[in-house]
Amino acid sequence: MARVSGAAPGRGPISTDTIAGLVCLAGAILLLLASRGLPRSPLVPIGPDFYPRLLFGAAILLSAILVVQGLVRREAPARRPAQYRLVVGTFAVFGAYVGLLPLLGFRVATLLFVLGLQVLLEPPRTGRGWMRVVVVAVATTALTYLVFEQYLTVLLPRGRLTGF
Amino acid sequence: MLGPLLGSLSEVLQPQYLVPLAIGTLAGLIGGALPGVTITMTVIIALPFTFGLDPLQGLAAMIGVYVGGESGGLVTASLLGIPGTPSAVATTFDGFPMARRGEPGRAVWLGTWASLFGGILGALFLVAATRPLAQFALQFGPWEYFSLFVFALSMVAGVTGRSLVKGLLAGAIGLIITVIGQDPIMSVPRFTFGSEFLRSGFQFLPVLIGVFAFAQIMSDLERPARDRRPGPVPTPRLAVSHLAVIWDILRRPFLLVWSTVVGLLIGVLPAIGGSAANVMAYDQARKFSRHPEKFGTGIPEGIIASEAANNANVAGSLVTIMAFGIPGDAVTAVMLGAMIIHGIQPGPLFMTTEPRVAYGIFAAYLLAHPVMLVLQWVLARVYLRVVQVPRSVLIPIILVLCVIGAYALNNIMENVYALLLFGLLGYGLVKFGFPLAPLILGVILGDQIEINLVRSLMTDADPWLFVTRPISGLMLGLAVLSVALALWQHRRQARREAAEEAAGEF
Repeated sequence: MARVSGAAPGRGPISTDTIAGLVCLAGAILLLLASRGLPRSPLVPIGPDFYPRLLFGAAILLSAILVVQGLVRREAPARRPAQYRLVVGTFAVFGAYVGLLPLLGFRVATLLFVLGLQVLLEPPRTGRGWMRVVVVAVATTALTYLVFEQYLTVLLPRGRLTGF
Repeated sequence: MLGPLLGSLSEVLQPQYLVPLAIGTLAGLIGGALPGVTITMTVIIALPFTFGLDPLQGLAAMIGVYVGGESGGLVTASLLGIPGTPSAVATTFDGFPMARRGEPGRAVWLGTWASLFGGILGALFLVAATRPLAQFALQFGPWEYFSLFVFALSMVAGVTGRSLVKGLLAGAIGLIITVIGQDPIMSVPRFTFGSEFLRSGFQFLPVLIGVFAFAQIMSDLERPARDRRPGPVPTPRLAVSHLAVIWDILRRPFLLVWSTVVGLLIGVLPAIGGSAANVMAYDQARKFSRHPEKFGTGIPEGIIASEAANNANVAGSLVTIMAFGIPGDAVTAVMLGAMIIHGIQPGPLFMTTEPRVAYGIFAAYLLAHPVMLVLQWVLARVYLRVVQVPRSVLIPIILVLCVIGAYALNNIMENVYALLLFGLLGYGLVKFGFPLAPLILGVILGDQIEINLVRSLMTDADPWLFVTRPISGLMLGLAVLSVALALWQHRRQARREAAEEAAGEF
């Protein structure tokens, strides 16, 4: 993914591999430091920190290799035409859904979420389009609620604010 | 062996098992047919629907999804030239030309019948091989298990993705996710940062759903909508002489059996995964053919090889899950997760301690194929309409099902927050070019790796036992070999690309 055919070595800025390696390296070092406070028992020769430390050590080594590989190869980051507007928007709408779920309850929050995300992904332009958006939202909410609560006895979240 | 199987077949034929199996198969067929929805995603979305069912009902449904998913891709692959899932990629090579030549029914039904035959031949292997392999695995101590898991992980890390380091690092991240929570020996909370929820660690299902669903959906959203939306879909007549189609397949017994064997072997070996089985079988069929130049022009051999292999591949991976308890790729990792959620721990003892469920799985696998055939017959044309459902409708529905799946596991919101967190992580990893399969395998195997490592070192502090015990040493040797092989392959690939680039500049 980080590779672009035709990119001359040394031309690009910091490669994505270097960035990814540095992030992983920082994370692994922080976790390694955090593992110092874990209690040990004199009765058990292998402490709870033994296995995590092995993993953090391996992760540090691998991240360091990735950083070095990124520096040596110095490939330009991929320039695939990408639309991040919808990605960011979808994450935002989903985040709002997750945040509102315990407040509004499954039925209200899901209805709003399915409405909102459909409008974001493909804004309806005609009355028929809006009709479809509403029908899909109501049907999704009603069907999932019925199937899970009535048939599969899965209790879905109730809203603290709505009690519904 | 035949007695318990017949007993299980008559049990699974009861409506309380047959209905979940049929619904699961239908869900798999639809998920498999939808471009952009992989089998892994379909299995993940279907799993919460089985929470309330008894284990055999739930597993029958999941096996149905898995088998249906492998066959669902062939309709869109043949008629539209779009493989609904990666397992149908090779089906497009000959299926689409055949359909365009005016034989759409023959293309679809060759694929469907080949799936059925490949699946049933695969079932014979599944039934025959699982118990002996499990008995072999009974000799395993914690050393062997640890080494086997390391081997599986290193294979997956080496095979998937373009960079071995990233594959291994993704596996390490998966393992690190599992050390959060209480340690298995003293129950000391690790890296919980005071959170009560984190004391029991992240459940793997929200992690899986988050990582996979978001990585896939968001990567899909990056592309402009016009790139992926199929145009108006024709609904051709699929009527065909089934006897002629069956004869088309059965008069090529070597092709059918060899494609099945390729599918089975790839399924049994961890790492290579179902999406490779169809392409490899296709390649083999071409190599053995007397007229290799005709491949890609719409000949039956190409369709038969691809579809027989991908259904047999399911049987192969079920053998590995049931006998050793290790998943071969992302789909089987989720299938293993599904078994664990239904209270079943696959492994060498599984066949002995849970014979009813084990033979039930065999029976469900066998019956899923005729069920699939019937559903294809009734519904093949309906899938073509399903493909036209716009993504603005599909994505919100998938995400709602993901939320329900994460929430319904323990009825707590924290799992939904974990879903979002791992969704962000999964998408970030994909953007940075990390493969997800090693991470998933790490998450699924993490606890087992730690328990077996600690158990073996507490039994005997000598770490050399991992190397000197023959089976364990062999597994570790194979792990090192697989890493070395992956390194060599990546280097060769890079050199070849560099050579092509250099040649392109002149």
